Amino acid sequence: MRTLTDTTALFKQKVASAWSAKADRLQSATGILLGCFLLVHLHFESSILFGKEAFYHVVQFLEGGMFSETGHGYPLLTSIFSTFLLVVVLVHAAFALRRFPAQIGQWRALRSQMQVVNHSDTRVWFWQLVSGFILFFLVPVHLYTMIATPEIGPHLSAERVYHDNAWLLYIVLLPAVVVHAMFGLYRVAVKWGISANRTGLRKLAHILVVYLMVIGLLSLGQYMMIGSELTLPIEPFRP
Amino acid sequence: MKLIYTDSLVVGAGLAGLRVAIASKERGLDTVVLSLIPAKRSHSAAAQGGMQASLGNTVKGMGDDEDVHFQDTVKGSDWGCDQDVARMFAHCAPKAVRELANWGVPWTRITKGPRQVVVNAEKVTIEEAEEAHGLINARDFGGTKKWRTCYTADGTGHSLLYAVDNKAISMDIPVHERMEALSLIHDGKRCHGVVARCLITGELIAYVAKSTTIATGGYGRIYEVSTNAIICEGVGQALALETGVAKLGNMEAVQFHPTAIVPVGILTTEGCRGDGGLLRDKDGHRFMPDYEPEKKELASRDVVSRRMTEHMRKGKGVDSPYGPHLWLDITLLGRKHVETNLREVKEICENFLGIDPAKDWIPVRPTQHYSMGGIRTDATGQSPHLKGLFSVGEAACWDMHGFNRLGGNSLAETVVGGMIIGKYVADFCEQNTLEIDTNLVESFVAKLQTEIDQLIDGEGTENPFELKQQMQRIMMDYVGIFRNGPELEKAVSELQDLLKRANALGLKCKKRHANPELVEALRVKRMLKVALTVAAGAAARTESRGAHAREDFPQRNDKDWLNRTLSSWPDANSLSPQLEYEQLDVMKMELPPGYRGYGIDNAIAHPDTEKREQQIADIISQLGPDADRHQKQAALMPFDVPESLKPKNERLSDTLNSGAGEIAK
Amino acid sequence: MSQQMAKGRTLTFSIFRYDPQMPDDKPKMVDYQIEEAPGMTVFIALNQLREQQDPSLQFDFVCRAGICGSCAMVINGMPTLACRTLTSKFADGKIKLMPLPGFELIGDLSVNTGKFMREIAERLKLWLHPKTGDDDIHRLEAPMSPEEAAKLYELERCVECGVCVSACATKQMRDTFVGAVGLMKIARFELDSRDARSADDFYHVIGNQDGVFGCMTLLGCQDNCPKDLPHMQQIAYLRRKMAVTLV
Repeated sequence: MRTLTDTTALFKQKVASAWSAKADRLQSATGILLGCFLLVHLHFESSILFGKEAFYHVVQFLEGGMFSETGHGYPLLTSIFSTFLLVVVLVHAAFALRRFPAQIGQWRALRSQMQVVNHSDTRVWFWQLVSGFILFFLVPVHLYTMIATPEIGPHLSAERVYHDNAWLLYIVLLPAVVVHAMFGLYRVAVKWGISANRTGLRKLAHILVVYLMVIGLLSLGQYMMIGSELTLPIEPFRP
Repeated sequence: MKLIYTDSLVVGAGLAGLRVAIASKERGLDTVVLSLIPAKRSHSAAAQGGMQASLGNTVKGMGDDEDVHFQDTVKGSDWGCDQDVARMFAHCAPKAVRELANWGVPWTRITKGPRQVVVNAEKVTIEEAEEAHGLINARDFGGTKKWRTCYTADGTGHSLLYAVDNKAISMDIPVHERMEALSLIHDGKRCHGVVARCLITGELIAYVAKSTTIATGGYGRIYEVSTNAIICEGVGQALALETGVAKLGNMEAVQFHPTAIVPVGILTTEGCRGDGGLLRDKDGHRFMPDYEPEKKELASRDVVSRRMTEHMRKGKGVDSPYGPHLWLDITLLGRKHVETNLREVKEICENFLGIDPAKDWIPVRPTQHYSMGGIRTDATGQSPHLKGLFSVGEAACWDMHGFNRLGGNSLAETVVGGMIIGKYVADFCEQNTLEIDTNLVESFVAKLQTEIDQLIDGEGTENPFELKQQMQRIMMDYVGIFRNGPELEKAVSELQDLLKRANALGLKCKKRHANPELVEALRVKRMLKVALTVAAGAAARTESRGAHAREDFPQRNDKDWLNRTLSSWPDANSLSPQLEYEQLDVMKMELPPGYRGYGIDNAIAHPDTEKREQQIADIISQLGPDADRHQKQAALMPFDVPESLKPKNERLSDTLNSGAGEIAK
Repeated sequence: MSQQMAKGRTLTFSIFRYDPQMPDDKPKMVDYQIEEAPGMTVFIALNQLREQQDPSLQFDFVCRAGICGSCAMVINGMPTLACRTLTSKFADGKIKLMPLPGFELIGDLSVNTGKFMREIAERLKLWLHPKTGDDDIHRLEAPMSPEEAAKLYELERCVECGVCVSACATKQMRDTFVGAVGLMKIARFELDSRDARSADDFYHVIGNQDGVFGCMTLLGCQDNCPKDLPHMQQIAYLRRKMAVTLV
């Protein structure tokens, strides 16, 4: 016969079980959301490579230009979406923190194991850990900027990048987020058995990392060029 | 001095030992198992092919029963076995298989309908019955009339060991790992336990018990090349031998397996040939049908190994830097079969030979494989010479194998013998009290302590590794597949020289805790004594029987040698064992000596054989035509098993036949 | 045979040496030279070193055929079975041997995997919990689908060598994590139709941070397993199953 304490303990255990299942799922779900967002985000942002006009139209479309009287859209939408993303990022980070080697002993164990055993996926994960740590600080800065000054456009963004020195942020943020997100997506896929073709997935992740880095760096260069050609104060771009 | 008391002490945590421990614990007895290594690493795990039990589920096993299994086993043993024990075994084997299924073994099951198999190098389609679907399957093995070897792919021993060890864990049976038993505590009449040395700390511990069961496996490693795990060094047999009281049976009966890979001697299962694999010579010729037209590759192991050696001696072997070898060809079984049913074989070929057995032939040669001999016990597993000492599995000479063991009967012996003897061990523990004479215990601990002190602090200069290597060479060169008087005499005298030298062992590593050199030194002296019982027994036995093949005495001589060799070592300082012989009584045999159905038919008959055959015919005719096979058997040779194992075994054929009977009505 | 070409090379073994029972001993790497023989494995080499150069060298071998799982160690950064690792595999003739991380060290290359495995078996109750009833050993056995039996055997091929544990950074960081070996065995019993435990019973054991939800899918287990067990697939299966039920 089960005593009362047994039942309570069992109940607690069950709650803990349910919690850890939820935590794992939420971490994966938010990760997928953020990873997919990143894929789209970097493409939208790289539309600058097709010219200022192209980028302008992308922004106009995303900010709901067709519904606004001016035709430029509502930058407030950017603020709202950025806030949402910030929440998602915080949830993701909060759950991911479970994975961090919290104690110095854990960190040492990890480092010494990695010295003895040579395993590529563990190394990849290690870089995810490092990049995750960096992102924990940089992503909120980036999102906060978007919430506070949501105005986006070929000139406005270039101003931020070049004149406000945001490139310093982006040059670190870009590799960190690309590595973290692409290998994160790979890991989620194998973790839940979404695909059994691990080699293919890993190759895809590698290709995507290189590809996103290339378009990200090129467009960052493009903004730098545009920014360097602009004189202050900046006039927003009008097609 | 550290003392541990228990009811049932088991030395060795392989299948046989664990099964006895489980049987003891089932009766509520306190049970402790000692093992050199973690239980799941025991050599039982290496048995690939399967275990024989006459379930008769597969269509190729239809008509099989205890009688056929018994006859195959006796013929396999070349009439050297104890027929009572062979009967007990054949009767309980199906029970053990079914029990193991209940404990979690994922036996390979039968799929109904047509199935393609390879028989005698030809693809044949067999049709499995609807009713057999999902029942335990069996494959063909050497020396058997029916397909009787139950299996899980080619990891049967592994599956069994894991299931049985899991069962032991679930019953909370403690296994003291890395603990080496080095002497038996006894007073000349009764065994009281063992003195063991912890391989990590070096501490000596006395385990005092009501019953002591030795289940330490065989002594294959007295040979240089053996399929056995490197821990199968015969120390268990040496424990009994060194009491001076307990006796070892048929130590010269050493089996050579036909197909171990060259040069490392790792086994490829008999299942390779059972499933249709062939043996080929340097010309690619399939030579076995030339020698054994009836059973071909699937004659018993002693016969196939001898034929292979004969064929190589004719210059038909494939030359290699490691001497001649032959080929095992399993390419005809097809890749799918190799990759599912012979997977371990494939891994071994890939890792150790760098070949793909689905496409390449495997280099093989007969190699030491099994020890039929061991600690002589009665049918209950107890030593007739030292009360309270039991032995089971390969360590024992319970004697169901005689002079040659059939493939699939050793794995079966571990669990079947363990099941039966386990119950007798438990009975013994219930009927006897724990006797503790601390002076006696202390004297045995002190003796071992002195031996260790002598090795570490003494003036000796002999190197234990060297001595062991020389012993292994002698056994390889002079006590192999074919034996002869002069070589055996040479083996005995050279081993005696080594034993003398072993009194002057000295160590370079002076540690008293974990010290591999000390472990080696403690073992080598014990191994030498075991090796001497093998060589001396072989030299004395002037006939050929089963695996013991004398070139100078090629006939099986039932007239003079229908007996069991017993060796003991009453004088610890002597350089040779004392040999005596236990006669096998033809008049009590259910199956009197005859031709095995394979090998050379050259036996010198025993005078009683004809008499007994007549007697058997009379008994059968007296029973009348209505007597069933059980009644006939009971009239010829009644045997006993523990009460709970007495019921008859149900078979698919029983239900199928009764179904057919009803239709006929 | 291709093994011949390797004949006569001098191999350099760099071996971790430490005896935790010697008060003054400190962990160190010691180099040994040995002449390579055809078909030499790390098993053969280590035994030769012990017999000819240093009789105190500790390591574990039992079956020397890749079956028993005793001899796992880290060979040039790869945790694997030493008995079936051919020295010819290493082109530069330099072989570095480390004991498996994450286990109690007995000395040099010998670690106590047995103790670990017994503890995990007791903790996770890694044995068949049979349904009551069909256990009469004198009668015809209960049928089982041949496919199920084959699948069970696939998962049962684990030899408890400890490679998956030492190759798992998660396990190294979190001592209470059950590791791949525990999860794989649970998957094996979960699949077994003879086992009486319900999904719920398994969740109590591994549906938590120390179980399947603690795994970070680093896949050191899958990549190093000497038996090529499908860790990735099985652990993903358990995770999906548990996540669905534990809503």
